[in-house]
Amino acid sequence: MVVVGAGIVGAATCYFLSKRGFRVRLIEAAAPAAAASGAADGAVSVASKRPGPMMTAALAGIALYRQLEQDGLFAGLFKSRPTVMVAENEKEAERLVEHAAALASEGMGLRYFEGGALRRHLPGVAPHVRLAVEVGEEGHAIGYEIVRRLIAASGVTVERGVAVTGLGPKDDGSGATAVRTALGVVEADHVVIAAGGGSAALLGLPHATQPRKGQLVVTERSPALAASLPGSLMSCRYLLSKDAIRVASAETGRRFGLVIDPLRTGQFLIGSTREERDDTGNDHDAVSRLLASAVKLMPALARLRVIRVFAGVRTATRDGLPIVGRMPGFENLLVATGFEGDGICLGPLIGREIARMVAGETTELDLTPFAPGRFELRSLVA
Amino acid sequence: MDRPADIVCDALVVGGGAAGVAAAVELCRAGLNVELVEQRPALGGAYYRQPAGGATATRPGSRRARQWSRLLDELRGAGVTPRECHVFLGVDTHGLALLDDRKGGRVRTVRTRAVIVAVGAVERVLPRPGWQLEGVVTAGGLQMLIKESGEAPTGSVLIVGNGPLTVALAADLARLGRPAVAVIEAGDPMTRPSAALRMAAFPGLVAEAAADLTRMHAAGTPWLRGSRLTTITREDGRLLASIEDRNGASRQIRADIVALHDGIRPNHFGLPPTTRDGLVVLHAGDCREALGVSSAEADGRAAAREAVALLSGAAAQRHAPEVTRQRRVQAVLASLFRPIRDDGGLAALPDETVLCRCEGRTVGQLRAMLTEPDPVGAREIKLNGRFGMGPCQGRFCADNVQALVSAVRPASQTVPLSRDRWPARPVLISALAAEEEAREE
Amino acid sequence: MSGGSFLWKDVTVPFRAGESVATALMRAGIRDLGRSGAGAGMRYFCGIGACQSCLVSLGGSVVEACLTPACDGLKVEAVEVTHG
Repeated sequence: MVVVGAGIVGAATCYFLSKRGFRVRLIEAAAPAAAASGAADGAVSVASKRPGPMMTAALAGIALYRQLEQDGLFAGLFKSRPTVMVAENEKEAERLVEHAAALASEGMGLRYFEGGALRRHLPGVAPHVRLAVEVGEEGHAIGYEIVRRLIAASGVTVERGVAVTGLGPKDDGSGATAVRTALGVVEADHVVIAAGGGSAALLGLPHATQPRKGQLVVTERSPALAASLPGSLMSCRYLLSKDAIRVASAETGRRFGLVIDPLRTGQFLIGSTREERDDTGNDHDAVSRLLASAVKLMPALARLRVIRVFAGVRTATRDGLPIVGRMPGFENLLVATGFEGDGICLGPLIGREIARMVAGETTELDLTPFAPGRFELRSLVA
Repeated sequence: MDRPADIVCDALVVGGGAAGVAAAVELCRAGLNVELVEQRPALGGAYYRQPAGGATATRPGSRRARQWSRLLDELRGAGVTPRECHVFLGVDTHGLALLDDRKGGRVRTVRTRAVIVAVGAVERVLPRPGWQLEGVVTAGGLQMLIKESGEAPTGSVLIVGNGPLTVALAADLARLGRPAVAVIEAGDPMTRPSAALRMAAFPGLVAEAAADLTRMHAAGTPWLRGSRLTTITREDGRLLASIEDRNGASRQIRADIVALHDGIRPNHFGLPPTTRDGLVVLHAGDCREALGVSSAEADGRAAAREAVALLSGAAAQRHAPEVTRQRRVQAVLASLFRPIRDDGGLAALPDETVLCRCEGRTVGQLRAMLTEPDPVGAREIKLNGRFGMGPCQGRFCADNVQALVSAVRPASQTVPLSRDRWPARPVLISALAAEEEAREE
Repeated sequence: MSGGSFLWKDVTVPFRAGESVATALMRAGIRDLGRSGAGAGMRYFCGIGACQSCLVSLGGSVVEACLTPACDGLKVEAVEVTHG
């Protein structure tokens, strides 16, 4: 087996394949978690999802994290905690109520807080917050820690710094795919492309994915303040427009979606933007606006210092659904990419499902909405 | 759409020490509109650190005091009004320079055409068990204290390390009437005759060194050469330093303060490295190359001339004979003070030795990462090992982590624990948050 | 600005005009500045604002003692008091 990409999806695929006894080569252009998986906000969350395939997948993703934490694989890495969605004015409150109703109808356990109860439950939140809806069964995991754990548990040595330059037919005439790298051709019974933003070009789907940058801020430690939050705080203002599809060619503005995340270390992770760009730089304008909205929601943050500012690049798709499954017409080539901001949540789950597909089993999750076949194909890069 | 910058100028000089002040003067004389920022409440940097509150200067009436006075006159004459208590945070991806105005409690943005970074050097400190204890300081840090207060510190002082700064510090303490308990020196200039001969080319320096050594000796501070520090512990509220001499014999020395110094390194943490996207960025003085104060001033002027040339589209080369001269001096000093033994360096440190002080990460923890079956890379050492993830952003651990990684895995590449990302220093959210919040655009 | 004194825990620390909080604390023999959130011991070290180990809390925010001019009547606290 060859897995291309040692981000969370590739690492998970590698782990689940190894567990089934397959010999796996994990080929990575830079280093494990060097791209989005290493610059993620860590949300293992269904709170922002609308009913549909992404909510179903997120629920299964969270359940798997819980199970793997109990089984020991993710011991100490998954922090079970709620996400608290907040509305800062009447209009937002109405939308939040609608959204919450949809979550409730899917059987999610929610708690609603208003007025005095809100003040008591969330003492650090600004007085103008009208409504808070707490989604209980959520959690948080740090992407690069999960990647490291999966790789270590798989027993596989990552082939670092090896870029995959193309795919092509095997020399044995079987029609199956081989992987071309700078170090030569790598043949395998199965090839899984989990290369984030690099996947689409390799697969002849050049416009299937777009980069979507997100800027994030990390603060110094304040264990006392971090402990005052029951979980991460998510402003509902923008999450409801998160799924809006952007046409890649249009001149893009950028969107701000506020999440205030208390980390295990007592630091806060504050994010993020959505920008149709693929660089990882930070600009004062974006950061200062993000922080202004954070302080408005949680005034005590103002007295913390920022110690690091960074950015990650998500892999987004035209229709907002990831691309997972067998490439049509190729018996041994699979793809798992396009997870936008849900890579951490879905990574281990998708890795497990891909391993099932490779082993010829039916998947637990219905992957048809994510089928690669929904995009037009060009011929593979030879 | 970005808001307009708070400050607009032709050139921003960061750092009010010898190099920065000299650069600001030259830029002004060239007709540019110049901003000079300094993190402390007063100009001076390290070499020209001024006494506060009526304290007497450590070496009053000296050549040094006259040089600083002259520089300040030039600055006044050039009409530059420095912004004090402004910490430079770096340059963002839109080319905006960012300043943390500590008094005003706000980050100020600067639109400029050139940035000259003259923030001075950072001291190199080799880790030893106990270097993180309170009372352990850097020799340079101790010099800052005594320059500012005009007096010796409270408590007894042991000076440990390598290089001429330790002797200068000991001489200062002697002059202030509270000589150091000892100077522990890893080198032994007495056993480097050829380097000593080459020093003869710099009689001024030799005279200053001789005066310092005489002062130190007369005050009863022993110069224990060819010796090194193995551990520091706390005992009865004081520090206990274990010293090993060139024959392997050890002794213990008690002090309230242990001042460490293993050299000076250039400083580029969080700072924009080079000219980028049309913004000229130059480094000057000790932060570019640690060569001392006379080189710093010359380098500052030369950097200013280089900036002026680049801004007018001409090709530019930095030319400063004093810098070249000081480079030769530093080379001779390095030979003269070269440690007499290879003590195994970082590879010989006990596991419990702290490497990254901010995050409490040890030598043992790094070794464990390096001996894992899957060979971790630089970024993983940082993210998973947490080395360099704290507020000092790797300033005091990056070199040491790199050295240890190289010792264990000689073929490994440089560990980029420090990056050129802003903020170069931690900054309050209250200062950085915009006055209005995010809007969908 | 003339000299004065500030409070460190319940100790009155005198300072001279223009001095930093760090200089005044060191003169008073106060070398242990508490613990950071990561458990690191806070203390004066580099004197140039680089090492982030002389951190203290002023008015609820963390600052480098070596870069902060001492002011009369200040209440200086260890980082762990305000940040936990």
